[in-house]
Amino acid sequence: MHESQTKSQFVAVASIAAELSAVMEVAKEISLAAANAKAIAFRAGEKAKGFQPITDFINDLAKETIALVNKINAHALQLYRLTVNEQRITEACKYFEKAAISARGAAYADSLTPLLLQAQVRKQSSRREFERHVVELLDQLGEVMHPARAARVIAANSRIEASQAGEYLQSLQAVAESVDHAAQIIHDKVHRCRSALSLIINSAL
Amino acid sequence: MKMTKIYEGSHQWIMFGRDPHKADKIIDTNQYLVRTGRRCLLIDPGGIELFAPMLAAVLHYAPVEEITDLFASHQDPDIISSLGLWDQALPKAKLHASALWEGFLRHYGCDSIEYVAIPDNGGVINLEGLELKIIPAHYLHSSANFHIYDPIAKVLFSGDVGAALEAPGAPMFVENFDTHVDKMRFFHQRWMPSNQAKRVWIDKVRSLDIQIMAPQHGRVFKGDDVKRFLDWFENLQVGIAV
Repeated sequence: MHESQTKSQFVAVASIAAELSAVMEVAKEISLAAANAKAIAFRAGEKAKGFQPITDFINDLAKETIALVNKINAHALQLYRLTVNEQRITEACKYFEKAAISARGAAYADSLTPLLLQAQVRKQSSRREFERHVVELLDQLGEVMHPARAARVIAANSRIEASQAGEYLQSLQAVAESVDHAAQIIHDKVHRCRSALSLIINSAL
Repeated sequence: MKMTKIYEGSHQWIMFGRDPHKADKIIDTNQYLVRTGRRCLLIDPGGIELFAPMLAAVLHYAPVEEITDLFASHQDPDIISSLGLWDQALPKAKLHASALWEGFLRHYGCDSIEYVAIPDNGGVINLEGLELKIIPAHYLHSSANFHIYDPIAKVLFSGDVGAALEAPGAPMFVENFDTHVDKMRFFHQRWMPSNQAKRVWIDKVRSLDIQIMAPQHGRVFKGDDVKRFLDWFENLQVGIAV
């Protein structure tokens, strides 16, 4: 791993954590919108009968997203630790190689050879472990896309139901808009995370 | 890296310093190796930039697997910021350092090396029967600070006490104590915070039989220059910044 690669890897992993934190905020907003919609639907009674089960769906989706993001956050933290480990072993290899050059002619220069070989093996194994975690994280991020897509479908249904809610039309439409907007933001942010991760993997190949 | 044997008997003391490749703005440091039959103690191994030249220099005296112990007199980067690399190179080694600094020193990376925490009253490092005494030197300058005394070789590793700021390539030993004083005065007055700590240390060290006093910067004191240093230091007011 070159120095510039290490830096971009640190930045990418840190940016994923930042994007995930934003996703979490948006998911919490959706949860709030669901509670708000439930209250409106309750007040609207018969006029918003079709809207009531939708509010439960919205809430479930928000909860599912929050749970997934929590899981992914723990994984992203693990990825950061692996990046630190990889950077340390890469640095160590660099310094061991320098020492081996400087030690030429020293009585015990040969004792450095096994150390150098072991460090190179650890470096390769550390890279493989990092890549394995990136692939797993990409899959988990893909899972977050599902509730985000479902939320957009629910938002479309909500608009239809809202249109039959009489004087509650505007309030329920606002809920539908806010869910749709939030789902779009989650989709975009998760997409950015996936792109950043793919970049790390591709640059290492 | 210049390598100088400062004691040879049943075991060896080797001093490393005056690295010609050292960057200009980095302070020059002395590192020491105590070598017994099959074990080595590396004293104040140095900054991260010094790791490769130090490891290469040590290989003139011992194989990697026989570097079994490290000692850090205190927490400063010029003393031990190379720890993360030694940790990768010597996974079975022990680091002897103050209990007080453990949580701080681990920031440099200490996953494999065993951290042997030194209590405030010091202790002993045993290298195949050679008992090296860990002498407390708190507040000289660090709040948890230790020196090493070898009663067989009569060598005192004195950390920052006795340090001098020198031009690159300065000789390894003090040749004229009176002229050397100018290179030590400000360093000791500004870096050492406590006259009380200084007096306690001098009382302790005067009870030891010392032939060589080896600081972490500057030159090594031999014979009567050790006593001259203690007298000079006793009369010096330190902690001058306040």
